[in-house]
Amino acid sequence: MADYAGYLVYLTISTGLFGLFALGLNLQWGFTGLINFGHVAFMTVGAYATVLLSSQGVPIIIAAMAGAVLAALLGLLIGTSTLRLREDYLAIVTIGVSEFLRLVVQNEEWLTQGSFGVQSFPLPLVQFSPNPFGKGVMIAILTLIAALAGWRLWRGIFQQGKPIDLLVWGVAATTLGLLLYLSGAVALLNYTYKAGLMLLVLIALALVYGGLESLVRSPWGRVLKAIREDEQVPLALGKDVFWYKLQAFMLGGAIAGIAGAFYAWQLTTVYPTNFEPLISFYAWTIVLLGGAGNNAGTLLGAVIFWAYDSLTRFVLPQFVPLDDARLGAFRIMIIGLILMVLMVWRPQGILGRKEELTLGR
Amino acid sequence: MVDDSVKQPESGMEQKEQSSSTPSLLSAEKLCKSFGGIAAVDNAQIFVPQGNITGLIGPNGAGKTTLFNLLSNFLRPDKGQVIFDGEPIQHLQPHQIAQQGMVRTFQVARVLSRLSVMENMLLGAQKQTGENLLRVWFRHRQVAQEERRNKEQAMSILESVGLAPQADEYAGALSGGQRKLLEIARAMMTRPKLILLDEPAAGVNPTLVNQICEHIVSWNREGMSFLVVEHNMDVIMSLCHSVWVLAEGKNLAHGTPAEIQTNSQVLEAYLGN
Ligand SMILES: Nc1ncnc2c1ncn2[C@@H]1O[C@H](COP(=O)(O)OP(=O)(O)O)[C@@H](O)[C@H]1O
Ligand SMILES: [Mg+2]
Repeated sequence: MADYAGYLVYLTISTGLFGLFALGLNLQWGFTGLINFGHVAFMTVGAYATVLLSSQGVPIIIAAMAGAVLAALLGLLIGTSTLRLREDYLAIVTIGVSEFLRLVVQNEEWLTQGSFGVQSFPLPLVQFSPNPFGKGVMIAILTLIAALAGWRLWRGIFQQGKPIDLLVWGVAATTLGLLLYLSGAVALLNYTYKAGLMLLVLIALALVYGGLESLVRSPWGRVLKAIREDEQVPLALGKDVFWYKLQAFMLGGAIAGIAGAFYAWQLTTVYPTNFEPLISFYAWTIVLLGGAGNNAGTLLGAVIFWAYDSLTRFVLPQFVPLDDARLGAFRIMIIGLILMVLMVWRPQGILGRKEELTLGR
Repeated sequence: MVDDSVKQPESGMEQKEQSSSTPSLLSAEKLCKSFGGIAAVDNAQIFVPQGNITGLIGPNGAGKTTLFNLLSNFLRPDKGQVIFDGEPIQHLQPHQIAQQGMVRTFQVARVLSRLSVMENMLLGAQKQTGENLLRVWFRHRQVAQEERRNKEQAMSILESVGLAPQADEYAGALSGGQRKLLEIARAMMTRPKLILLDEPAAGVNPTLVNQICEHIVSWNREGMSFLVVEHNMDVIMSLCHSVWVLAEGKNLAHGTPAEIQTNSQVLEAYLGN
């Protein structure tokens, strides 16, 4: 029982941090149309910067913020060199940079300990032991976030006119959400480090989500969407298209950097192999599942992605006689298949708007 | 084609004097641009007086669109200079030129399909506080107020061009003619000094062409200047105070519509094609 609860907390943290990670990509690609196949690069910078700086005695929160700033600077570097060029350049350069960074991290042992990994570094809230009142406050915050998430999910479904397939998804997501919420609340009662981390990642996620939602509904977000549709138009109307692309790219990078810090705190030891290109692919899967250009959809995509991951992790081995490595590949194959089915069934993603696909240019 | 009140108000002579004595709103000289050795625009000049509707005509492939791209810096000229509102503008980025008050439209209308008609319009508003990332978070009230004002302004322009009922629809759902109209209305939303229109009547049904012309004339009466590329001669003749003719990238003629209509070189360029 305790094991299950522990796993559910792990699942919430994973969902939360990959939700953050994918929100960054959704800002870049979903809203601005920037093709970034190397999103994991920002996460690498965020994770290593946080871990290495805090090991040197920098306060952990400042280390994490420095990680986000460095990730944004990486975005500035990539952006200034490629964002003026045709869009495919960005796609290629981002893949290249993310692999380059992984190799740097692997080989610069003096800094990162290479493939031995960074074994011990400060973790947030690790010595924190809340009194009953503190626990109550934490559970209240968790409840608030869970309620907001539920409300947002159902509003999204009702806005789509309550189609039956979405209702099924909604019920499934709500059930899972309740399960996660209950196990989270229990974990906070019997406070452990992971429970604290779970609450932290959820708070960060809620803040970033709220900040992004107000941005994408603002005139600033309107310019991004215009760039995604046809960048000549905002250019002709006096918008500095390059600068807006750069802002979106850097902000998306910074958010992925924060996700990187949480990733490191969840792993508690970081190896270069934690930052394979596959991680960028996870973010793309999440964004495509939920609906590009839709933040709530992206979060739903993260929930579905990790629910799928857990289901197949525990259920598949019962039915498929494969060793671990093959099973891992098989699970990725299936998610590819699911994406293909989704592209046929709901190409706009689960919460995307169907009408948008039928419009001519 | 267009009702009588639209006929050019002044006589040709006055026009010519005005364009040579008063400084032009836009003047471009010795503009050159070639694509792989082929001169699309070859030592062309054009002057657009303040407050006028100036026409630009020429056979297909004469270089009119290329000239527009050079004026708005969507393409860098190989040579030449462009002065807008008293300032040289060649060194400016396209968006900076728009900010200075010269806005162009496209030959094939470009609307943002997956944005609503209203959002298309709002994109045109200049100097929005809410276009600054930090101010979206920290000047929430001001941003909201401005947005409300811009919406009112957009709505009144949409009403005047008859697109108000479609304000909340996707722009991608509009007909070809309505898209042209939206593009012009969106350009008006920037409160420019000069609008460059590239074939505003191309592919538009005759009723809508009439409407578009009426809007251009009424905005011109309110002081807006236009430079219009158009193939439809009726439109050019009824709208324009003066006309420039381009052929094979070079200036062929310049004068009032009446003069141009009877210019033998111009007739030859059109008929000889
Ligand atoms: N981007 C380009 N690359 C190569 N040739 C071009 C380009 N744009 C225009 N041209 C050529 O320049 C000439 C002028 O074209 P354009 O300005 O579109 O003419 P118009 O608008 O008067 O019909 C044409 O011969 C066209 O083929
Ligand atoms: Mg043309």
